[in-house]
Amino acid sequence: MEGHKKKELVIGVVMLGAGLSYLFMTMNLPRKGFIDAAFVPYVLAFILCLLGILQLIASRKPATSQAESEDDNTPIDYATVLKTLGLIVLYAALLKAVGFLLMTTVYLYLQFMVLTPVSQRVKHVSYLIIAAVASVSIYFIFRHGFDLMLPAGFLDL
Amino acid sequence: MLELLQEGFSAVFSLQILVLITLGVAVGIVFGAVPGLTAVMAIALSLPLTYTMGPAAGLSLLVSLYIGATSGGLISAILLKIPGTPSSIATTFDGAPMMEKGEGVKALGAGIVFSFIGTILSIAALMFIAPWLAKIALRFGPHEYFGIAIFSLTLIATLSTGSMIKGLFSGVMGFVFATVGIAPVDAIRRFTFDTPNLNSGFEILTVLVGIFAISEIIKVAESVRAERKATVATVSMRQIKGFGFSMKEFVSQLPNAIRSSLIGIGIGILPGVGAGTSNIVSYIVAKKRSKYPEKFGKGVIDGVVASETANNAGIGGAMIPLLTLGIPGDAVTAILLGGFMIHGIQPGPMLFMSQGSLVYTIFAALLLASVMMLVLEFYGLRIFIKLLAVPKHILLPIILVLCVVGAFGLSSRIFDIWTILLFGLIGYGFVKGGIPAAPFIIGFILGPMAETNLRRGLMLSDGNFTGFLTNPICATFLLLAVFSIAWHVYGTLRPQKKNGAAELLRS
Repeated sequence: MEGHKKKELVIGVVMLGAGLSYLFMTMNLPRKGFIDAAFVPYVLAFILCLLGILQLIASRKPATSQAESEDDNTPIDYATVLKTLGLIVLYAALLKAVGFLLMTTVYLYLQFMVLTPVSQRVKHVSYLIIAAVASVSIYFIFRHGFDLMLPAGFLDL
Repeated sequence: MLELLQEGFSAVFSLQILVLITLGVAVGIVFGAVPGLTAVMAIALSLPLTYTMGPAAGLSLLVSLYIGATSGGLISAILLKIPGTPSSIATTFDGAPMMEKGEGVKALGAGIVFSFIGTILSIAALMFIAPWLAKIALRFGPHEYFGIAIFSLTLIATLSTGSMIKGLFSGVMGFVFATVGIAPVDAIRRFTFDTPNLNSGFEILTVLVGIFAISEIIKVAESVRAERKATVATVSMRQIKGFGFSMKEFVSQLPNAIRSSLIGIGIGILPGVGAGTSNIVSYIVAKKRSKYPEKFGKGVIDGVVASETANNAGIGGAMIPLLTLGIPGDAVTAILLGGFMIHGIQPGPMLFMSQGSLVYTIFAALLLASVMMLVLEFYGLRIFIKLLAVPKHILLPIILVLCVVGAFGLSSRIFDIWTILLFGLIGYGFVKGGIPAAPFIIGFILGPMAETNLRRGLMLSDGNFTGFLTNPICATFLLLAVFSIAWHVYGTLRPQKKNGAAELLRS
């Protein structure tokens, strides 16, 4: 119960924070009159802040039974989430330098491993083959079939 | 109109487009059937394939994916007892018990045939209503568009699930992200942080792919490692006559099917609510009107028919505001809108005037794709069942790579890959906070429409706001917007009464 209240409070703080930072950015826009390019952003910033405050007020009320059942009890595996995010960031960052073929193969292989269910064994060989085949076929289909110049990196095929 | 439709059919009956429609429907069914994969993902992945196609071919592929994915959810709803997409939630109520009773084939057959009927009826409605509505919309000026945009925005924010505060927040946030880039009318750069890449704002497709595909992949990472292999029930499709149910059963279901189609079409037209709602509403109505409501939930064919007819009938319904006004009703139509724009097509009343033949090509593609869905889903069922067993930890990374390719292909910038990642994180945050994502997309698309028309309307009336209130259509929509918020506030302030729908489902 307390956990739910706290969560809603945090959401309210984030909402208000988003509203305030947008308001701050809007105040830096050049003004040319009452209705100008900054008019709508001011309205939006105001609504965001208002909604944030309303959410903060609402979070003090006890949760309804419906909201309670929403918080189900499956444990959340944040380690896997973080590893996945890290891999995606690395993939995007290195894609241009390393090239699509190599980078995609490496990314897929590592990502398969990270996501493999605990109950199953990691099959290194088949993962590598699937990763390589997927990466090569996507590359050639798009580069030669659809003229989409995916970054070639140092492996220019 | 028949002439135009004939022209549309002759455009569709080329080898290339026929192959694309078959592939589109098949891929769509797979994405609909596998829980965790969605219609939005299917379209997002296939978009880069259409970049070099002509508009007729590209759009045919996209609408086929839409039809396939909407209908594919019934396979897993009946065989796995898990709805493949939210559109098939009510299908599990009676489909799963029918499966247990050994009537799986009948449930699947009825689901497939009535999906087809729902789709066809809704396309018929689309073909009759859309040209007529487009004619009216042709007279709309900035005032009317402003009213409609504001109305649609409030409607989606209030109708979407959960708290209205969060729904509105999501819609306004979408609008906020749409203000990045060069402002309408006076072309001032806003919130670009002096990054040239941001001058034209965020691409709608990167926003959609991020919010709906990347965030889904991140979300799956939460639980995939704890997953066990799903057991897929199998049915024998041998020795079945017709579609697995009798002619008598078919005839007795027709009133139910027509009622469910009307519900599906009606709900589909409204912005913000789509097949995810209409299948449940239609199920409840079918149960209420039935002579034997006590049998519902224990495996009667009526339940499957009601749910599957209604969710597919949403297709034609949702296409009406999309084609005539350029207003998408949900995430799927939003990504369709993005696909249209890639091909240089701006949906709206002008589309019917300037590119009438393309509109009828889309109609023809929709009709053909529904027939293809009927054939493929029935005769290819065994293959789709096999695909349900493809492990997620292999499938999702490949989908992510395809999303990256699609984002990169928009304008060959790595920047767009970072954008889908950014919106993926926002989408994940929304999931964690219980904030609905659909209003964000609608806000992102309708926000600029509202702002541009506000500025234009004010220029027309020399900066006078009353122009918006004296224009009858605009005033009506603004009043409706105020009314929908007030009604919602009243509903939440009233002493807590149990949700009618939830109560009915439990009984």
